[in-house]
Amino acid sequence: MATVSLDRIDVRFPDGTVGLREISLDVRDGEFVALVGPSGSGKTTLLRAVAGFLRPAAGSIDIDGTVVAGAGGFIEPEHRGLGMVFQQHAVWPHWNVGRNVEYPLRMQRVPKARRAALTTAALERVGLGGYERRDPATLSGGQRQRVALARALVAEPRVLLLDEALSALDEPLRDRLRLELQALTRELDLTVIHVTHDRDEALALADRVVMLDGGRIVQVGAPEDLVERPASAAVARFLSDAALVEGCLDAEGFAAYNHPLRLPASAVAGARGAVTLAVLPEAIAIEPGDDAVVTSSLYGRDGSDVVLDWAGLSVRCRSRAHRPSVGDRMRVVVDRAIAYPAADVSAARPLAESVAA
Amino acid sequence: MRSSSSTLLAEPGRPAAGLSLVRRRLTDGLSLVRLAAWLAVAALVLVPFGSMIVLAGTEHLATLFEGDVVEAGLNSLVSSLASALGAVLVGGALALIIERTDIPGKGALRLFAFSPMLVPPFVGAISWVGLAGPASPVNRWWREQFGEPLWSVYGADGVIMLLIVHSYPIAMLIITAALRRVPADLEQAARIAGASAPRAMLTVTVPLLRGAVLSAFTLTAVSNLADFGIPSILGTPERFTTLSTLVYRYIQSGTVDDPLAVVATIGVVLLAVALLALVLDVLIGRTSVELDASASPAEPLPLGRWRPAAAVLSWGGVLAITLLPLLALLEQSLLPAPGVPLTPETITTDSIERALTASGTITGAVTSIWLAGLAAVICTVIGLVIGTLVTRTRARDNRALHTLAIMPQAIPGLVIAVAWLVIAPRIGLFNTPWLILVAYVTSFLALVVQSVHAPLSATPLTAEEAARVSGASRGRALLDISLRMAMPAAIGGGVLVALTAVRELTLSALLLSPGSQTLGVVIFSLQQGGGSNAASALALIVTVVGLAGLGLAAPRRR
Repeated sequence: MATVSLDRIDVRFPDGTVGLREISLDVRDGEFVALVGPSGSGKTTLLRAVAGFLRPAAGSIDIDGTVVAGAGGFIEPEHRGLGMVFQQHAVWPHWNVGRNVEYPLRMQRVPKARRAALTTAALERVGLGGYERRDPATLSGGQRQRVALARALVAEPRVLLLDEALSALDEPLRDRLRLELQALTRELDLTVIHVTHDRDEALALADRVVMLDGGRIVQVGAPEDLVERPASAAVARFLSDAALVEGCLDAEGFAAYNHPLRLPASAVAGARGAVTLAVLPEAIAIEPGDDAVVTSSLYGRDGSDVVLDWAGLSVRCRSRAHRPSVGDRMRVVVDRAIAYPAADVSAARPLAESVAA
Repeated sequence: MRSSSSTLLAEPGRPAAGLSLVRRRLTDGLSLVRLAAWLAVAALVLVPFGSMIVLAGTEHLATLFEGDVVEAGLNSLVSSLASALGAVLVGGALALIIERTDIPGKGALRLFAFSPMLVPPFVGAISWVGLAGPASPVNRWWREQFGEPLWSVYGADGVIMLLIVHSYPIAMLIITAALRRVPADLEQAARIAGASAPRAMLTVTVPLLRGAVLSAFTLTAVSNLADFGIPSILGTPERFTTLSTLVYRYIQSGTVDDPLAVVATIGVVLLAVALLALVLDVLIGRTSVELDASASPAEPLPLGRWRPAAAVLSWGGVLAITLLPLLALLEQSLLPAPGVPLTPETITTDSIERALTASGTITGAVTSIWLAGLAAVICTVIGLVIGTLVTRTRARDNRALHTLAIMPQAIPGLVIAVAWLVIAPRIGLFNTPWLILVAYVTSFLALVVQSVHAPLSATPLTAEEAARVSGASRGRALLDISLRMAMPAAIGGGVLVALTAVRELTLSALLLSPGSQTLGVVIFSLQQGGGSNAASALALIVTVVGLAGLGLAAPRRR
């Protein structure tokens, strides 16, 4: 239960490459923040800087009002009062479950009887009551991840760090642990920073989602903000699989270069002039016609996920009414779109400049 | 985890609400341990080899081109290259047959084929004297029939053959490991594409083994370049001198001026060759292709109608070079003197009794056991620390530390012995058993480092990071997590060190001092002094005890 604030953090790796650039972020007390981004965007680097495994080259990190990294000094990971769950669980193979879970308490010199009680409680909380004496080798992947979670929670950390904590698990199990994780963190009112490459998981769990790209934050906001009002064309493409079209937008409306897409000005939000237009799948409807050819059509619970080749442009949409077959010819109806200044395609710009819509 | 940097030290007295701002000292536990590891490696590797290089200088370079040295060098070169070629051919063929065909009795065949690795080479040489020496039953019978012996193991051909017998298991081990890394689906893909089973093996799998084959060749060539036991037992009677037997002669009898400087010069040349081979091996490893892991097991190649012939050939060959010499050793042990035919009347336990009661035997055994035991303990401790540091921490000097610690494995024992001989007078170890001890540690440290390195490098570093987040300091995480995880492997490595050292000959013979006769040297002296039946008996006992020890240690090494 604590705040984490990062002030203009730069991280450089020993080989000189830049890991993070000018990251500023405030995580509120009890908030669940998810870090997403393409691989190499710096999300794990950011988490490791908060944990203390990386030293920022510039800027400062502050946990609960205490500077843990920055000009004032550097606090080693063991003194930061954190809990962390790793992708490959990192349950120590040479100790039984109980010994693994109680380790943080041992480090705090908690008396034995109290250690045992807290360990039992932590294991019960993750659904592994009575597993103290089990050898980790006899546990399934999901059980090991629960042990790791119990170990991270047992000493009541101020912040819980999750590094792809669910990514190594099978899909049904991942789904269940996702539900349990939310219930548990809300119940304990924990401050959580969760790194994931799974976009749906980030949107599903977080109070706020932070999207990184190229070592910078490109957007911070509630899940619905990122989905409905992406800060850049790149965010729209990464988070929502938006189709991007280059064109010109003026009072008459939008006209794409080298493409038949035309939209009235009233259907387009955002910048004017030479723009990159982002068309979200939700804004596209298809009906039998002759504009585009279906290149794939995947069944989904809430409508088919259809990709079409529309005059050389690949567009994605959801079709609730019926599921077209590959090779079908369809007409594409776009009812709204968001325009970004044209240079914005690769968009790795700081947050302040890229609030467009 | 980056290494410490003093510019980021915390300011003392800074208020820290809820958190203690702990100062990182440059002398934290981890840094001290790392410093100790570097000091140990410097003392065990850098100092002896360094002083050997310094003593060798350049003034004795001329001696390298003298008749004796040139001849011995050529003999060493030819025997090492020929035996490495043979070892790769035999080892590679056996690896392919055992791993990828349906030959009957695979498990037992593999065990038998590996067994020469567990027998000290000089013991192998002694047993082959019993099997194919001029006075062996086979040669005696042949001489009676045809007037001359069939084939004597003495001489260049015998040396090369014995070197092959004792080095092909290493080649087989390397090639087998590479073979198991080749995913089965590569061959299956070739089959689907229309290749027959043998064709798929020859065009897909075998080319992928090229790196391993080259690596096996360089490794066996270097280790055979300076083997001592085999050429001194089988080569010397036919005046087939190699560098190692020459060095032994120089040290023992001082037939040249300033023998130490001359042998140091020879040692430096051998060291250079070994290091060159090491670099070559690294380069080969770098150019090798990367293979994905595969879950599906390889389908064995059916031998069809060739199966009986292949089985007879491989089983016959393997038994002939593994079991037969041991039987010859047993036969010799039960005879009173060489050349006596084995009949129920001639069987005696005299040789065994003589071997066991000879004054040297007991003291030799005691010396060997305490030297080997002490070497094992020291290697376990140092190897555990170094192996753990280089696999479980991130630091720029890890690679250098690891390379230096395992380097002696690729350097002939002869060179290690010469290096310690050179420095001994200066550190007060000359003519003491401690000299043998430090040479053992230099030589066998790599066994422990490697047995720690292999299993631990597969575990992600998050194990320690989880401990750090849980509140453990660097040193505490090393102690609680890294060292604890490494301990079983290190102990397994230590047992291996003890079992290897107790039967060692090269180092013990070259560094011999009054009162430090080891078991290997006792057997060797018995053999050289004409007591070959007693030598056989003692060699047999040592071998059987050693194999039993390895058998007992094997399950613990997992």
